[in-house]
Amino acid sequence: MTRIVRTRYAEVNPGLADGADPVTTEIIRQGLNAAADQMKQSLIRTAFSPIIYEALDFAVAFYDADLCMLAQAPTLPAFMGTLGFCVREAVEGVGGQGALSPGDVILYNDPYGTGSHPQDAAMVVPVFYDDLLAGYSVIKAHWLDIGGKDPYCTDTVDVFQEGTIFPGVKLYDAGRLVSDIYRMILANSRMPEMVIGDINAMVAGARTGAEALTALIRRYGPEMFRRSVARMYAHGEALVRSWFERLPDGVYTADSVIDSDGVNGLPIPFGVEVRVGGSSVTVDLTNCPDQVGGPVNCPLPSTVAAVRIAVAFLAGAGEQPNEGHFRPLELVTREGSLFHPVRPAPCFMYGIPSDHAIELIIRALAEAVPDSVPAASGGDINALVWWGNREETGEPWADGAPHPVGQGASRSADGASALMYISESATRFTPAEVWESRNPWRIERMALAEDSGGPGRHRGGLGLDLSFRVLEDQYLTAGLARTALDPWGMSGGLPGRPNRLTVEYPDGHAEDFSLKTRIFLPKGSVVHLRTGSGGGYGPPSERDAEAVRADLREGYITPEHARRHYPHAF
Amino acid sequence: MTTVIGVDVGGTFTDLVLHDAATGEIRVAKQPTTPAAPELGVLAAVDAAVPAELLARCDHFVHGTTVGLNALLERPLSREKGGAAVGLITTAGFRDVLEIRRGDRDDPYDLFWTPPPPLVPRRLRAEVAERVAADGSVVRELDPETVRQAARLFAAEGVDAVAIVLVNSYANPAHEALAAGLLREAGFDGPISLSHEVSGEYREYERTCTTVVDAFVRHRMGPYLHNLNRELRARGFGGGLLVTRSGGGALTLSEAAARPFETILSGPVAGAVATARLSATLGLRTAVAADVGGTSFDTALIEDGRLPLLFQGEVVGLPLQSPWVDVRSVGAGGGSIAYADSGGLLRVGPRSAGADPGPVSYRRGGAEATVTDAALHLGMIPAGHISGGISLSPGKAAEALAPLAGPTGIDGTDAVAEGVIRIAAAHMAQAVRGVTVERGVDPRGTAIVAFGGAGPLFGCLLADELDVDTVVIPPNAGNFSAVGLVQADIVRSAARTLVRALDEEALPVIERLAASLFERLAGSDAPPGAGAVREVDLDLRHRGQEHTLTIPLRLGDDDVAAVGARFSGAYHRTFGHELPDPLEVVTVRATSRVVLDDEHPLVPAPPAGATPLGTTRLWSFRERAHADAPVVPREGLAGPMEGPLLVIEPTATTYVDAGFAVEAHPSGCLIITRKDGDR
Repeated sequence: MTRIVRTRYAEVNPGLADGADPVTTEIIRQGLNAAADQMKQSLIRTAFSPIIYEALDFAVAFYDADLCMLAQAPTLPAFMGTLGFCVREAVEGVGGQGALSPGDVILYNDPYGTGSHPQDAAMVVPVFYDDLLAGYSVIKAHWLDIGGKDPYCTDTVDVFQEGTIFPGVKLYDAGRLVSDIYRMILANSRMPEMVIGDINAMVAGARTGAEALTALIRRYGPEMFRRSVARMYAHGEALVRSWFERLPDGVYTADSVIDSDGVNGLPIPFGVEVRVGGSSVTVDLTNCPDQVGGPVNCPLPSTVAAVRIAVAFLAGAGEQPNEGHFRPLELVTREGSLFHPVRPAPCFMYGIPSDHAIELIIRALAEAVPDSVPAASGGDINALVWWGNREETGEPWADGAPHPVGQGASRSADGASALMYISESATRFTPAEVWESRNPWRIERMALAEDSGGPGRHRGGLGLDLSFRVLEDQYLTAGLARTALDPWGMSGGLPGRPNRLTVEYPDGHAEDFSLKTRIFLPKGSVVHLRTGSGGGYGPPSERDAEAVRADLREGYITPEHARRHYPHAF
Repeated sequence: MTTVIGVDVGGTFTDLVLHDAATGEIRVAKQPTTPAAPELGVLAAVDAAVPAELLARCDHFVHGTTVGLNALLERPLSREKGGAAVGLITTAGFRDVLEIRRGDRDDPYDLFWTPPPPLVPRRLRAEVAERVAADGSVVRELDPETVRQAARLFAAEGVDAVAIVLVNSYANPAHEALAAGLLREAGFDGPISLSHEVSGEYREYERTCTTVVDAFVRHRMGPYLHNLNRELRARGFGGGLLVTRSGGGALTLSEAAARPFETILSGPVAGAVATARLSATLGLRTAVAADVGGTSFDTALIEDGRLPLLFQGEVVGLPLQSPWVDVRSVGAGGGSIAYADSGGLLRVGPRSAGADPGPVSYRRGGAEATVTDAALHLGMIPAGHISGGISLSPGKAAEALAPLAGPTGIDGTDAVAEGVIRIAAAHMAQAVRGVTVERGVDPRGTAIVAFGGAGPLFGCLLADELDVDTVVIPPNAGNFSAVGLVQADIVRSAARTLVRALDEEALPVIERLAASLFERLAGSDAPPGAGAVREVDLDLRHRGQEHTLTIPLRLGDDDVAAVGARFSGAYHRTFGHELPDPLEVVTVRATSRVVLDDEHPLVPAPPAGATPLGTTRLWSFRERAHADAPVVPREGLAGPMEGPLLVIEPTATTYVDAGFAVEAHPSGCLIITRKDGDR
């Protein structure tokens, strides 16, 4: 008997906010957001791995003692509101709230609680005020390596192959480093120096956050702080409900297909159903296969995040979220399924189903709010992970990055070219000059792909063509999704191009990969990454002739493409 | 001492300040800005305030201009539209760097965000066959024919200026220089900007952007500056024209015309410069500049009298690799609009009523309550006391504030007004926390220097928000930023990325590189007068990290251990911990500085014995009640006097809450001291 799980938020006693004045509430709300931002800046400036300081592959947040989210700094949208699960599990892991002391730092990286892979490790710092637990300051960040069968895996068959799991253990106990745990981390990493640097940065950042939270509570007193926070949640909820009320009631659906699970090679169909009633929205993700044999299962916390960000993008309140923003939203999942896997389902590439679900939920709502929904984008972060030993010194090196894609066109405009997929929209692309100063590569081409944007009244954004010549032997793991599915057009617009990775070997033969671990690249190979583009919006025959000629003049499209799709412009 | 005129062109007003060395007098004037031809407003201010005899005696004319910034805001991409058609030459395969950017969005939650169109359209971005590796070695020689092709394209398209940015040119600039020569040979006679001269730092998008901006604004800036210089000379001015930099200090005329991108965002810097000088004069270890204008709050942290420098800035979404004073702006000023949001909270800013229509109480058509209206309602601004001949209407202010009570559930108009001020002060305090905490400084130990039209209203509120005990209100508080203009040094700088270990062998390499940078600085423009001070700074990092700290290097005196110790100290101050890892050099920076005038022009101490002008009904935030409080003219205040009270002067009003005392300092400043830390 499969269990259907509803993830929602308990009704809150409105009396909790009694006596909170709206001015102090607004000042505390701003103060919490600013404190979260300070924690973020501290981590960015001290972290060792580019994946943290450049790609912003981390989340920082404050939670109250009841595990409601006080504030989260904007980093990767994919991590929105996921940390509550891992705080709860981390605290339970060390024996519950009663076992916490000031100065503790709890380490937690179990994928079913963090929502992601073991590389995403959380540090949870309980914050005390007057000897009472007042909340938590939390940082989850991507470590370059914490064991597992490979530094980055696309072909695992259970979670145990994916990394060493710390199920909530004290790294600092009342301020004292627990060296047993510390040594275990280092003994299980291929890149211990980087991980040490990042651990120090995370601990320092979480402590900075804890101090900022304490200062805020001290300034207003714990009682006024609690009341104001309750009012702040009510405010966030009211904002989101006021937007949901504008959605026409109804049931909206969309379905799609994930390329493969990385192990069995079979496509994975799934569907979403969005039910709108009054000011509440329910997203049902039960229409999907049971958990699959390869690492594309999406643990519940990341499924929750996907739903939250899809809806937040549309609700577009432009506010830093808190727990209140999430209250009007309910999620339905099926335990043991792709979107709610149970141990020991592998989930290293959880981002693939989660990213796909985001765009599909948005697509489902096209019928309800056509003006607010663009055509599909390239739809993936096109993660590549590289490593090897330097030829001259034997020193190990590693690097990894997401890559930008074209964005879908909308009713009002052409899609933007070469932006990071929306789930990683805060991430920045590494400059070629920084790459070349660090890694044995030469970037031979980094260009917009002409003709790649899906034709339409508004054109899809262009994808990116990147060519890396490798100057020394090395390995590559490819984490590409959306390689088989053309990015869909909308309202008569045509599709864009999917993502594609080709390795051209020195002997002249070439091979395509999508999800593949440990591709050996002999010196002299060239890796071509062609990222997906955006779908078009509206029939191409309705495109303004001058816009077609401008695209032609600037070389975004070729004459052949222009004549084929826009004959009316000539 | 020297006699200096400073003229700063703002969005609404062109401000003039003159410091006369002979008399010690400070003269201030204001004229409306003339956006279509800014030099007219500048000259009108000069004509109105500076007699010919005095102009002839002036040693320097320091100019803060927004000509470059406006060119970027308007982005006219052709000559017909008053701009420049810029062509870009770049390495084969990298034509789209300017458009690919870094793949990020200004708002990560905006599904529809689209970057602004690039400054160089795609058809004018020409690729040339060549390649240099990261270590400077040549992988592929430059093919001259591809440069000639570019020259033909640019000629056909009517390109005015060309930017040349080749990959890894920071490590070996030979191909950029070669390409420039070939372009000239092919007949291109417009200005050429070379990326290794403009920036010299790695990161191809940022360097391309900086170089293209340089090419783009040069077209406007050069003619503008030469024209202004001619007009000033025609009026008898015989000194040097200087232009303020985004990184503090000023450039000579010819240098500013050659490197205009360094002057793009100098507007908010003058206030920080003035605060730095003042804090050196008063011996303040750390000071926070708190400049409250009509639309924004600008703040900067001054440590030991030094400006906080960054080496990359951003303007209208374009990153610039250039020295940059770290002044943060938030949308909280006198004109910031208060409203009730859809969730029932009271919000303030960032939208502003600006100067036009301005606050509701100005009675010039403003309909939404602003910070100024709230301050007026609470008695913080006495009705009738405002410059520009505007009489304020407290009745209108109350009418605009009252409707905010209902939707927010706030009890009464007084409480709404109090809330507006507290929220605005909290926004400002967050910005101050940002600039202090990020540099490892506890704001509680700083002094707040409050200025700008509305700054002195907020000094006490900020002190309570931030737990600060000392607030300084400088003389001419409303025009204090302009005072910074007449205190500029002549500063020129150059930088070059050099990624390598910081070991004993590194120092001679750094020394040679610095010497070549100084040679270029000296060659570009001989400093007027001797005595240029040379400073070398290094961007250093722990190996493996990306972010750097900029550490001074004493050439000849320092060994690696001394530099390392200085870095560790700065790292610990900034991040609260130290790391044992080895250090890497990333960038070498050379600065040449000519100090024009190291004395702070001070206002003589006023005669003692203030006679209050009367009393006013004034709100006390600490007492949460109204009180009858004295209104004191600034020129008569000696003190100490205890709050609540108001101190008035022509350009600003200082609000002193209960629990604070104010007194005049021999420097001409008002010093406000907090009596107790509790509230």
